[in-house]
Amino acid sequence: MEMETRPTKVGVLPCSGESEPEGTITRNAVRLVMEKYRPGLVVSLCLPLYLAGDGGERDFAKKVPVIAVDGCPKSCARLATEKYSGPVEASIDVRALLEQWGVTESLSRSHPGPIEDELAERVAREIVRLVDGLVEEGKVEVANV
Amino acid sequence: MTDKDTRPDAADVVVLPCSGLDKEAGSASRELALRLQERGAALVCPVLYQRSPKRYEKPLSSGRLVVIDGCKTGCASKLAAERGLKLTDRLNVSEAARSRGVKPGKDPHLGAALEELLPSMVDELLEVRAPEDRAAAASELFAAPVEYREFGVDKFVFRVPVAGYFFNENDCWARVAGGRARVGVSDYVQQSASDMVFFEPPAVGAEVSIFDEVGSLETTKTALDIISPVSGKVVAVNAEVVEAPELINQDPYERGWAVELELTDFDSDRELLMDSAAYFEYLQGKAAREHEELYGG
Repeated sequence: MEMETRPTKVGVLPCSGESEPEGTITRNAVRLVMEKYRPGLVVSLCLPLYLAGDGGERDFAKKVPVIAVDGCPKSCARLATEKYSGPVEASIDVRALLEQWGVTESLSRSHPGPIEDELAERVAREIVRLVDGLVEEGKVEVANV
Repeated sequence: MTDKDTRPDAADVVVLPCSGLDKEAGSASRELALRLQERGAALVCPVLYQRSPKRYEKPLSSGRLVVIDGCKTGCASKLAAERGLKLTDRLNVSEAARSRGVKPGKDPHLGAALEELLPSMVDELLEVRAPEDRAAAASELFAAPVEYREFGVDKFVFRVPVAGYFFNENDCWARVAGGRARVGVSDYVQQSASDMVFFEPPAVGAEVSIFDEVGSLETTKTALDIISPVSGKVVAVNAEVVEAPELINQDPYERGWAVELELTDFDSDRELLMDSAAYFEYLQGKAAREHEELYGG
């Protein structure tokens, strides 16, 4: 009889889009989650590599719960995951979040400053909230978060 | 005074980076693309391009496409190939960094060592132009007006460009722009040698090393070789000067250029040359000495 094993990682797939400042925020927020907030638990997936079909990214995304982090409603990260690996566990639309937070400042995609950094921190904390939710639901096996 | 930045801009460039998130080289590819964008390039987001290719139809149909891959997986190159895009050039950041002695890291942080290399990679990408583009860009730069300084020795007045020219001790000059150089002889040569009557040019396509002969001149009183101040491949000769060598007497630094070279090692050549200011001083001394020898001071 085969034992069912729960995944020990959460995959996070940012759009990291070049065309909009929110893409840069997704990129930086996911790095914060990986390096600062939930190191060892979260694995980032490289969307260009994922789309190219190399590097085992698609197979990995089939085995772990995936959170898609998109910069805008085009939802490149979520739609790519659904196409190649199956449904995502959760998704974030950063632009919608910024609207919800009342952010009206003009943002830079190439030179993030204090405002962009702060927004990346806030988005990172949103991702952490979703990651912790998956842990609480028992979808990920983890000793200590 | 600082030299004017004559590097070509990136207005006709379309850049498609991998923008990878996994490794340092991916982050560097993204940073390179953004720097090219600051120089006027159109940026294609590799992710959005797959979702909304129409968004990039216009720039991709009119610009020179440069693809930047972070690693050997070559995601951006694969994307370009899948879409049938015609590349002007591609850069692999990992290979380019290793060739400069830096090994990119495995995490996505862009470290200082790799970041330091980015300006030279941008320059490299902007230098990668189709030959006809390079020629057009260089011609434009060579057409820029020249400012002169002059000094007199007895009844003779000698002119030297204020900047942008490099000289050897044979009184031959190179005017460098966009990876090319035009080569000619100085005002001092044309006055000393008298009226030009014949210009024998080198073959187009000839490979020339610094200090090689790159054509010869005959005047009403002597014959002399043009000694190249730079290494490169001859890509043009001045047909106007072949037809009318007296152009060298009339306008030695501009219309009187002799040959144009595609440069091969200007960084090394430059160490053996005088810039305009140094040549001005050198020539003042040389002209004064010769005058003294001829006329006794």
